[in-house]
Amino acid sequence: MIHAQVVGHAVSSHCHPSLAGQKMLLCQTIDADGKLAGAPMVAIDLYGAGMHSKVFISTDGTAARNVVHDPKSPIRNFIQGVID
Amino acid sequence: MRIAQVIGRITLNLQDPSFKGGRWLLVSPLDSSRMNDACNTDAVVSKEFSLVTYDSLGAGEGDVVGIVEGAEAMAPFDHPIPIDAITVAIFDSIFYQPPTTSLAGQAI
Repeated sequence: MIHAQVVGHAVSSHCHPSLAGQKMLLCQTIDADGKLAGAPMVAIDLYGAGMHSKVFISTDGTAARNVVHDPKSPIRNFIQGVID
Repeated sequence: MRIAQVIGRITLNLQDPSFKGGRWLLVSPLDSSRMNDACNTDAVVSKEFSLVTYDSLGAGEGDVVGIVEGAEAMAPFDHPIPIDAITVAIFDSIFYQPPTTSLAGQAI
């Protein structure tokens, strides 16, 4: 799981059917001393993570396919939990 | 899912039989500096390595696409296919606004 922070969102009207209707948030990984590192990546949001909230992102495809109930979905990153 | 911009297309003449009818794009991953205005500007090659992705959505040059890498790229197919990057979304707009102060409280 990746410790990341939500830094934006992305809108896509032309995507894989399993992504249709999913909220796509831009997340950037948080490195050891609390700064944002690397390029932002897109994760599917299921639990309503707000802007700039700290989240855990899972990169396991099998779990992602179960979450969106589509065995042919190519998703990998989805937000597993929002950290208080 | 990484965000990249399409900078070209690739045509194969010798290929794996399972690639039949495949469409290939040359994409350059976006870095955070161009995240906000990439959707309405022309493609610019970034410092990161460009890569070839299988295209199932019909993205054109200059489109900002979301690419998935790894074994999940083979998930949409019902026959075995040796690819490791596929486009899964064509983005209409991207909003990127990092927090001004980092988590430890100092200004970034």
